[in-house]
Amino acid sequence: MKKKLARLLNVLSDAKVSFVVVGGYAATLQGSTYLTQDLDICYERTSENLQRLAGALAPLHPRLRGAPDGMPFVLDQHTLKQGMNFTLETDAGDLDLLGELSGVGGYSNLHKSADSVELEGRSYRVASLEELIRSKRAAGRRKDLNVLPELEALQELNEKAPKKNP
Amino acid sequence: MTVEEQQRLWDLVQNPPPGSKIEAAKEYGVDLTLNLRALKQTPTERAEAMEAALEFVEELRKAALARR
Repeated sequence: MKKKLARLLNVLSDAKVSFVVVGGYAATLQGSTYLTQDLDICYERTSENLQRLAGALAPLHPRLRGAPDGMPFVLDQHTLKQGMNFTLETDAGDLDLLGELSGVGGYSNLHKSADSVELEGRSYRVASLEELIRSKRAAGRRKDLNVLPELEALQELNEKAPKKNP
Repeated sequence: MTVEEQQRLWDLVQNPPPGSKIEAAKEYGVDLTLNLRALKQTPTERAEAMEAALEFVEELRKAALARR
């Protein structure tokens, strides 16, 4: 089985990038059954981390998703510093880099309340159901609101059962 | 998750408390039995299942395009 999104996580972890898994992949890890095609992360915006992030992704040839072929784009520390959110295509799958999450804020806010989740023997910080619900509600788009009933039910089910990873 | 815990969650999904989020999700059309299965899995198993389903969808999409 090809596990492209998990490979992206491994690459970021190997490079010691500071990030929290958010979005649909985080929801999957928390028990959601919605499918997602990309990995969303909220990344720490310190200079050191931007450098680690750009360095980790360089071998995967990051490019702007959906951009015309040949459009010049270099994802380096400077580019990351100039922008906030990036929707990328890489050799290991689609990756969204988010500097901030609607209704939650940036990495430091999110990191505090994130769950530690074991995935293929590694530990990752994954947005809690509470923060996922908060961000979906704040985003307010139909596609975000559509997943709220499932996430809220999962939260209620988790409250009734002991939390085990998570 | 122990069998007793699984039973408790099963009962909650089958007979959700009135006004609960579980009841609301069922009314919205969410198949919570899929979530019950996911909650029995480890996060690695959940990720693998999602990526396998995604791969299946991609194969279907390619097959549909090839038939055009």
